[in-house]
Amino acid sequence: MLDFGTITTATDQYLHSVMPTQAALLLECILVALCAVLAYVMLAIVMIFMERKVCAAFQCRLGPMRVGVWGLLQVFADVFKMLIKEIISIDRSDKLLYNLAPYLVVMSSVLTFSCLPFAQGFQVLDFNIGVFFIMAASSFGVLGILLAGWSSNNKYSMIGAVRSGAQMISYELSIGLCILVIVVLSGTMQISELVEAQRDGWFIFKGHIPAFTAFIIYLIAGNAETNRAPFDLPEAESELTAGFHTEYSGMHFGFFYVAEFMNLFIVAGIASTLFLGGWAPLHIAGFGAFNAIMDYIPGSVWFLGKTFFVIWLLMWVRWTFPRMRIDQVVSLEWKYLLPIGLVNLLIMTICVVCGWTF
Amino acid sequence: MNPTFIDTEKFRAQMEELRRNGMDFLRDIIGMDWGEEGLGAIYTLENSSTHETCEVAVRCTSRETPTIASVYDLWSVAEFYEREVYDFFGIKFVNHPDMRRLFLRNDWVGYPLRKDYDESEAINPIRMENEIPEDVQRDYEIAEDAERELYVKQTNKIFGDQYIINIGPQHPATHGVLRFRLALDGEEIRKIDVHCGYIHRGIEKMSEKMTYPQILAFTDRLDYLSAHQNRHALCMCIEKAMGIEPTGRVQYIRTIMDELQRIDSHLLFLSCAAMDLGAITTFIYGFRDREKVLDIFEEVTGGRLIQNYNVIGGVQADITPDFARKVKEFCNYQKRKIEEYNNVFTYNTITRKRMIGVGVLSREDAISYGCTGGSGRASGWACDVRKRHPYALYDKVDFKEIIYNNGDCYDRFLVRIDEILQSIHIIEQLIDNIPEGDYKVKTKPIIRIPEGRYSAAVEGSRGEFGVFIESRGDKSPYRLKFRPMGLPLVAAMHKILKGAKIADLIAIGATLDYVIPDIDR
Amino acid sequence: MEQKFTYIGKIADTIKSLATGLSVTMREFFTPKVTEQYPENRKTLKISDRHRAMLYMPLDEEGNNRCIACGLCQSNCPNGTITIKTKTVVDEETGKSKKVLEEYIYDLGSCMYCQLCVNVCPKDAIAFNNSFENAVFDRNKLIIKLNK
Repeated sequence: MLDFGTITTATDQYLHSVMPTQAALLLECILVALCAVLAYVMLAIVMIFMERKVCAAFQCRLGPMRVGVWGLLQVFADVFKMLIKEIISIDRSDKLLYNLAPYLVVMSSVLTFSCLPFAQGFQVLDFNIGVFFIMAASSFGVLGILLAGWSSNNKYSMIGAVRSGAQMISYELSIGLCILVIVVLSGTMQISELVEAQRDGWFIFKGHIPAFTAFIIYLIAGNAETNRAPFDLPEAESELTAGFHTEYSGMHFGFFYVAEFMNLFIVAGIASTLFLGGWAPLHIAGFGAFNAIMDYIPGSVWFLGKTFFVIWLLMWVRWTFPRMRIDQVVSLEWKYLLPIGLVNLLIMTICVVCGWTF
Repeated sequence: MNPTFIDTEKFRAQMEELRRNGMDFLRDIIGMDWGEEGLGAIYTLENSSTHETCEVAVRCTSRETPTIASVYDLWSVAEFYEREVYDFFGIKFVNHPDMRRLFLRNDWVGYPLRKDYDESEAINPIRMENEIPEDVQRDYEIAEDAERELYVKQTNKIFGDQYIINIGPQHPATHGVLRFRLALDGEEIRKIDVHCGYIHRGIEKMSEKMTYPQILAFTDRLDYLSAHQNRHALCMCIEKAMGIEPTGRVQYIRTIMDELQRIDSHLLFLSCAAMDLGAITTFIYGFRDREKVLDIFEEVTGGRLIQNYNVIGGVQADITPDFARKVKEFCNYQKRKIEEYNNVFTYNTITRKRMIGVGVLSREDAISYGCTGGSGRASGWACDVRKRHPYALYDKVDFKEIIYNNGDCYDRFLVRIDEILQSIHIIEQLIDNIPEGDYKVKTKPIIRIPEGRYSAAVEGSRGEFGVFIESRGDKSPYRLKFRPMGLPLVAAMHKILKGAKIADLIAIGATLDYVIPDIDR
Repeated sequence: MEQKFTYIGKIADTIKSLATGLSVTMREFFTPKVTEQYPENRKTLKISDRHRAMLYMPLDEEGNNRCIACGLCQSNCPNGTITIKTKTVVDEETGKSKKVLEEYIYDLGSCMYCQLCVNVCPKDAIAFNNSFENAVFDRNKLIIKLNK
């Protein structure tokens, strides 16, 4: 299987040979940042299109059909529209924080995004506490949302932001516990090693019951982290018009929008990395020929395929259920998910200690 | 039917007596301006168990400071009805805790439904500046001394220094331009102040200058989701007054169309309730199926929302040949689809958690607030006009009055779901037996109603819709009043909202199912 | 122990109801879609014959209408949508002067489609048709002269 790492290493060596180390590093940083942001935006566009079509299919509709064949250019048209829209400044808002907030949200999600392993060696950030970094980076997105709600001088935004704060901080716990289950199972926090360990069997199979439970809890908590139905109450449109981003317009609103979709991608990406083997192909022990065929499919296809499958699952959930109330959201976390998660972690630890894993 | 007038002095005692005798449902208060004879109001009351009705008319002698004793403590809904009368006739209700205008702006000059009202634009120009909401409630009292002067007993501030948030007039969940001002404590609602009148069109005032067929066109625009029933009520009232008996065919068509309209409205209700709770997919499913009703309407009446179908003495046009087939097809289809809504939304845990035990309206309150329709029946009050005072063919068909007892959001939701099935049941009994006959009785070219007072009521899609006409024998009515279905529901809002959260307000508003043009008229 | 059971029972019930909901949407995911693609479907679009989109005057082969300029429609209209301009012509054969229609002005913008004008017309000279695509950029274009 192609290791993308060889290409990056070769590029790195070439750059170092033709220019001084500092310059080479700077150039590499810029290149990588460009690629990451470009991939980020392109994936966001794909996801928005997918959301519209999937949502339409669940609702007996066709979705966008006008711009381009099957509405393929619809999202581009929307992005263009958003780009040419005025960014309104709000009276008596905290100007600095108001303008800073969308960037914080996007920054947090780009940082997390760069940890995702798209294929072997095809990863921006990879170090020994990768999982830990993902959790840290993703959790400061809530700061942007709180600031956005607080600084817009709007009561709807304020309520939305407070709801969001309560919700995200609660569900972060469950996400952490689910990730811990996998860390316990694999014994590493480095993402590349986590995936490497799944080459002979995905963790969801290796860890059987506790891993599967963790996967489900992770999906629920991840859904809550991305503020999607049934946990979309920070921006519950029938209650708070648009929640924390009510007062944002133009590209500032666009940032929130894109970040929300990319957070969904990230949640799905992490789920597929931790539980479904990331870029590792499906291997079934004892079926040599089958495994060989699976190996021919590139790792990035595996990764994106799994990720988009998880995204589709989350969309299915989103377009089926009604919205919860804030007290129910919080009690779901603290009364159900967290205790189950803790017990689950205990079971996994026992399984690992006794060697009851595959 | 012609009640005698009661003196303002004896009025309060008389009303207390009636209330004690079981007249617990105040249908409506109709403000009146009898010209020289003075201003006054007609109260229509009903006994909720025996369905016995009575009318009480009270007349004030003074046009300058007309006063009537308030009955808000006997019937809670009077709080809003009296405000409406004050708004349009300037009658001050003594001891009413909150004598503010209900529909018009605070800076409106004069009382528009008085006969001597000056309509000139110089007095009430189109004001371009924002309305400053009145934050003070006034409570009037009559001095006990010999002068008997009206004075403001006390003023109450509505809101202290609470966190106030506006829900409406432009808000996704108010289903139109209704405005609530909420005082919040965190997510919890402490107090609510309802502002109506954003789309008040003065239909009752306009009607006083229009001929009867012209007024018919307004009824479709009151509660547009019971357009057909509204028009049915007015036609019935005029037909009763003129002594016209519509043919059997007309009665069949009207009943079937009424029920189709009810299905249409309830489908919209359940879709919108689902959307307000965040289940957008259910919303689309509901609208997909509602489209089929609208297609039938369009085929037969030429209109989808504004159908314009009932006319005095009959209907506008005969049903189309394949009407029966299409309706039967729809009924069979819809019965299957109800199961789908139930599976995807009604039985869902999240829905149940959001609705069960939320926004409870007790039976006593439902009657006292006059919350008819599905909302009343969810509280255990058998208030269906089709059963209470049958009209058209409702005494000949077999159907069940759906009654639930908890009075919470979930019961209000279930009532409507079950009523769709009952409506289908009614339609199925009638659709194959439509008798031959004329679809319209010939009427005189100019319709005049003999002098007198007439009223009629139908079960609209969301409650009792009443029409009251006082005629002086002209081409147009002297006074025409529509009983709104939504105003009592909105009046009950603050009672239902005790201890609710913002999200509950949305659920309550969705399941109470008010339509703003019907509140505002 | 009982408490424990309701806790788990609640979870089981929740999962069951959520799964039922998911199965419904999954079924709809694969059913044919109901979107009507207007305006692409203009050719197959069927608008009910009774639909009231716009008032018009049915003309015979020579372009004559049946209006006798009685003014009933104008006086019955609640909105003042219809304006009839008449002129007096002298009939050549009998020598009597007669009021005939000069212009029948209809303001589509203020019509509320109550059908009173059509109902009251003694000669059936006006009717509603179902040409519903009436959007224009200027309100003045909504004021239409119906007779030729």
